[in-house]
Amino acid sequence: MSRKVVEIAGRRLSLSNLEKDLYPSYGFTKAHILEYYRRIAMFILPHLEDRALTLKRYPEGVEKDFFFEKRCPSHRPGWVKTAEVSRDYGERMTVCLINDLETLIWVQNLASVELHVPLARVGSPETPDFMVFDLDPGDQATILVCAQVALILRDLLSRLGLTSYVKTSGKKGLHLYVPLNHKGKTFEDTKQFSRAVAVIMEKNYPDLVTAKMAKKYRKANVFINWAQNDSKKTMICIYSLRAREKPIVSFPLAWKELENAARQDDSEKLQVIHSEAVITAEKQGDLSREVLVKKQKLPYL
Amino acid sequence: MGNSRSDIDTGEVLFKQGNKMAVQGIWSGTISFSLVAIPVQLVKAVEPGRVSFRMLHSKDYSPLARRMFCPEEDAIVHPDEIIRGYEIRPGKYILITNEELESVSPQRSRTIEIVEFINMNEVDSIYYDHPYYLVPTKGGEKAYRLLVEVMRRTNKAGLAKFVLGEREYLVAVKSMGGALALMTLHYSEEILPDEDISPRGGEIEAEEKSRIKKIIKKMMADFSPEKYADERRKKIMDLLKKKAKEKVPVEAPQVEEEEGEGPADLIAALKESMRKVKMKR
Repeated sequence: MSRKVVEIAGRRLSLSNLEKDLYPSYGFTKAHILEYYRRIAMFILPHLEDRALTLKRYPEGVEKDFFFEKRCPSHRPGWVKTAEVSRDYGERMTVCLINDLETLIWVQNLASVELHVPLARVGSPETPDFMVFDLDPGDQATILVCAQVALILRDLLSRLGLTSYVKTSGKKGLHLYVPLNHKGKTFEDTKQFSRAVAVIMEKNYPDLVTAKMAKKYRKANVFINWAQNDSKKTMICIYSLRAREKPIVSFPLAWKELENAARQDDSEKLQVIHSEAVITAEKQGDLSREVLVKKQKLPYL
Repeated sequence: MGNSRSDIDTGEVLFKQGNKMAVQGIWSGTISFSLVAIPVQLVKAVEPGRVSFRMLHSKDYSPLARRMFCPEEDAIVHPDEIIRGYEIRPGKYILITNEELESVSPQRSRTIEIVEFINMNEVDSIYYDHPYYLVPTKGGEKAYRLLVEVMRRTNKAGLAKFVLGEREYLVAVKSMGGALALMTLHYSEEILPDEDISPRGGEIEAEEKSRIKKIIKKMMADFSPEKYADERRKKIMDLLKKKAKEKVPVEAPQVEEEEGEGPADLIAALKESMRKVKMKR
């Protein structure tokens, strides 16, 4: 195993197998992954901060087996920040917090290509910082159908006085985020609210939307997964790479971009690859910043 | 939701006896002592025969829910605003959080670890709390039968600490009709003092004593509890059966499940907004 010792922010890290091709169909090595995360760090770190990380590790590359790791590996360096969280039945568990560049690089050295985080921070695990609508297309639906649904949802939420933000899932779906950023509401509330929204969407657009989990209802429809609004669930972090043939990123979009893609029937625009992600983010800044700061109240609850 | 009305119409479900229900495990784990470990399941031994009623709204038969009420504000209190307090003096409370309670709650037991054996006849029935059966699970049958037999012959019981639900119980494992029973016992501090109960003083005359003895002897019988029944329960069940035959049961209004998934205000606002969104498109 080849090793290379680097120093980041005064901390020494031993990186292994940098030449290993983790996206073999595309040609993207661990060194490329580290470079992507190094350049995107200033954008992704605020979205990871103080959230219990779930590692999704692909030691043999994205086309081979992966495993989830919720516990922070015990062989971690002493400076990796951790938190104690309680699982069901009061069991305690130590999780990693990616609050700085060196931890981000250390985690990527573990081939944890995808970074999944909950909607709440470790200090207040029962109060979500945002409500999400995870738009998940069935086998016969495309991301463009998702785009249609997302645009209707945006309008509906906006009439309720709520501003929403959208990002690509990095796969076939889209994620809508409604920032809350106050401690007044629990997951019970966001779940109830998002479920009511999903159900009314299903009723009014039965050919586009389903609010039911079962695969048989999805098919050509988009499943509005309201059940993601749960303290036990995680979402792929904004700016995280996805494990698929190409290094595609879960990337924030301006609503205008989504409208254009929908109008031009161009699904390619909704697949943002690593290099494009870095260039766009450096040019326009973090489009999803408001998700972390904008304070909104859920009406009628 | 899965509340099929037709079940009730036949009357069978409504009048099902507790003892006909399938045995369902409350807990599974092992009994252990010394080098013995027997895999078992804990099941109920009794089903209280209370007839329970749902409270309904008289005008449309909707089942009613309980809410916490604040007499000070004359208003229903949202669950988010409810916390726990321990009353140390009237009107004075010590607050306690769920986390604090959880931190002192015992870990769920995986074994019933017998720490000592006792003579069951030394345990006064006042200590008996609630009975359960232990049923052997795969691989445990032989050791189970052995323990049942030995404890039966010697009238011994094993004492153990055991966590069920959120409480830690003192339990006695004993032989009962060819099976193992588990009896949760009261802790000694739960037993109220009896000093003031029995009246003192005065010799009892031998003649009086023998008279009472004779009466008791005349009234002696074998204990056969099946001779007795909860008369009120029986009458209520008979009444219900009669009424079920005569009358069609009233029905709660069919709530459309989906509409019920949010507060009325939210649903109304969503409908209105949706109408406008559709108009614009």
